[in-house]
Amino acid sequence: MAILKLDHVVKRFGEFTAVDDLSFEVAEGGIFGFLGGNGAGKTTSLRMALDIIRPSSGAIEILGRKPGRENSSEIGFLPEERGLYRRMTVLDTIVYFGRLKGMDAAPARKEAERLIERFGLGEWTKSMVEKLSKGMSQKVQVAAAMVNKPRLLILDEPFSGLDPVNQKVLEDLVLEMAKAGSTVVFSTHIMQHAERLTNRIVLLARGRKVFEGTQEEARARLPGRLTLVSEADPSGLPGVASATRAAAANGWNSWDVSLKSGVAPGDLLQSCTTNGFALRGFESHRPSLHDVFIHLVGPEQETQP
Amino acid sequence: MKNILLVAAREYKQIAATRGFWVMLLVLPVVIGLSQVAGRFFRPQTDSAYVLIDQSGQYEAAIDRRLQLNYQRSELGALSAYVQRWELASVQPDAVWARGERWFTDGQLEQFVAHGGIDAAWKKIAPAKPEEAPDYVIDPPAYVRAPLPSSVAADQGPDTFAEGLAEPLKGDEIDTPEGKRPLALAVWIPAEVTSTSPVRMWTNGAPNTTLVDNVRNEITRIQRARALESSGLAPEVATGILNIATPIDLSAPPQGAGREQVAIRSALPLAMVYLLLVTVMTTGSMMLQGVIEERSNKLLESILATIRPSDLMYGKLLGLGAIGLTILGVWVGAAVGAALSVQGIVADIVKPSLAAIEPWMFGAMLFYFLAGYLIISMLYLAIGALSNSLQDAQAYLMPVIMIIMLPVVFMMVSVLQQPNGVFPVVMSWIPLYTPFAMLARLGAGVEMIEVIGTGAMLAAFVAIEMILLGRIFQASLLRTGQPPKLGGFLAMMMGKHTG
Repeated sequence: MAILKLDHVVKRFGEFTAVDDLSFEVAEGGIFGFLGGNGAGKTTSLRMALDIIRPSSGAIEILGRKPGRENSSEIGFLPEERGLYRRMTVLDTIVYFGRLKGMDAAPARKEAERLIERFGLGEWTKSMVEKLSKGMSQKVQVAAAMVNKPRLLILDEPFSGLDPVNQKVLEDLVLEMAKAGSTVVFSTHIMQHAERLTNRIVLLARGRKVFEGTQEEARARLPGRLTLVSEADPSGLPGVASATRAAAANGWNSWDVSLKSGVAPGDLLQSCTTNGFALRGFESHRPSLHDVFIHLVGPEQETQP
Repeated sequence: MKNILLVAAREYKQIAATRGFWVMLLVLPVVIGLSQVAGRFFRPQTDSAYVLIDQSGQYEAAIDRRLQLNYQRSELGALSAYVQRWELASVQPDAVWARGERWFTDGQLEQFVAHGGIDAAWKKIAPAKPEEAPDYVIDPPAYVRAPLPSSVAADQGPDTFAEGLAEPLKGDEIDTPEGKRPLALAVWIPAEVTSTSPVRMWTNGAPNTTLVDNVRNEITRIQRARALESSGLAPEVATGILNIATPIDLSAPPQGAGREQVAIRSALPLAMVYLLLVTVMTTGSMMLQGVIEERSNKLLESILATIRPSDLMYGKLLGLGAIGLTILGVWVGAAVGAALSVQGIVADIVKPSLAAIEPWMFGAMLFYFLAGYLIISMLYLAIGALSNSLQDAQAYLMPVIMIIMLPVVFMMVSVLQQPNGVFPVVMSWIPLYTPFAMLARLGAGVEMIEVIGTGAMLAAFVAIEMILLGRIFQASLLRTGQPPKLGGFLAMMMGKHTG
């Protein structure tokens, strides 16, 4: 069952089209990556899913229902732009969000206290938010998004602004939530997080979907690349699109080889054996999601590896 | 509804946690308390003593008599007001104190004193007073003549006299028939009062001008009588001329009626206008800061993913309304409490004002107060949502406050002079000003049809305002960049925003 489904969704702001005919589905369970550069339409799409803004056309389903606040008890949301009431205590803040999501006071308080401990904020429980550092404030906001143990957790650029240690804490927490049965949808332009966490991804550029599928399916879109060490030029081998000599030593040459579309590195190795092509070295390169993104979208859409 | 209440509770707690709220909440009760205390401490000193040496032997008795008559005049006036307030005239309808407070002639006072003065009058009235009426408190005479201290020589000229009194006049208390009192004035009247041998007075540096005037006027009166006598008039004729007082029978509505009734009835509604202005402007500013904080802190998106923008708006209005009602409740409670439990300026104003207000007027006052509160709060809320910073908000607020405040100030002046004049009546039918105008005019007597008509218009206006400004609020919450221009406002009000 799709926990989130966008069907030919368009969102225009005046003359500007932020989201253009976007369709994709997120199946229940697992971690889903919503990837794209700045201004790709990720935040707008998530806001529409949460009914914060309405689409110009198209249909959205979330938890099998139309978007609306009646779904909020089953959804956790961490927006890209974060903030908290400065003159509220850490505990009160998390409990307040829990209550807004329909929780009773006692369970909200209990879960808030658990999350505070989980995030290492125990000694700050009764402190005003204004006294916290930026990193700690972000943890409070993440806790506020998770307090209702949501069926669907939507995180918009959750890692931005966090130091590496806290990025790791958040990654662990996302994995923990997914393991506990929540579906996590997160948007990011930092591809390494997506590589580590996601099962499936959607790539967005200029408001349009450029890819939907698994990471492996995404990588398969990129021509294979490998390094061969041989005496002879491998350009003539079947499946090789191009070969460039990168270095030479002791009569052996190192070649950067690009494969033709649909040709796997294993196919080339097989071809070398069949054709008696003398090889001294063979190294297959696994493309990163960043490489895939650049390949599919072009370098002008900015992402971070 | 639950979300509205949650937002309202949070707003209430946030504002109630500020120092400004508590300062505002407690300022009036503190002022009332201080007025009670200050009234006692800062009353001009009237319980003082004087010493008098009259070398001529002509003025001494007259001055003492004048001060005694003036004391009895003051007590007789207060007792007459008491009799009228508690409807005790029937105790002795022909008594001088049974016909209300007025100017009493010396003749009437002589007669009053001859019948035992204030003490005898109160003894007669006291048994008939109703149970709830407090006892009439007879003040001691303000000025008491003290015998000359034995250390002071009275027969060695004024300078020696003054020298002997120099120490007591620095603030020492001296013995009088009424106990110890500070010496306020020493008077030396020579054997013959002339320009070269004047009456001399020494004060303690804070003289009571009434005492000095009384002494001077009595000496002048006697000198004039002697001048008339020396020009050939018989002494009784001269005295008769000086005692001439034009008999005036002034008819006025009974106390608490007529113009006074309007003033009394208007006290509470007028106070509500000021209360409304002060509370809504102050708490409105707090709410404005709250909305700007939510916008600048970027936390609105988290909230709006959870609750509807309209729930956020109504929650804020409800929370702020509760703050306003808290302040109103505490202030009115303090005033009423002071009126019922103590005597003093506040009690004198509030007690008759409360008694004069008809029951339906309380409902009308509450309605106009809340409607006014909503109208202005909604403006603050929309401005907060439109503004990226307090500077932005001030640019919007200035003209809005001017548009509200200036006509209200003029209207208040106009209401005090002519409550049912054209200007206040017209203002009553302009919904933005209806709460202020109607609250201010309620005490003067407003036709029920006008209350219903303006009330219905006001309710409709509040509903429309909430829809239109509510749209601006909702459309502006997640807006970024520069605030919109007029066309943008209109588009928002029409629900044509792009968000």
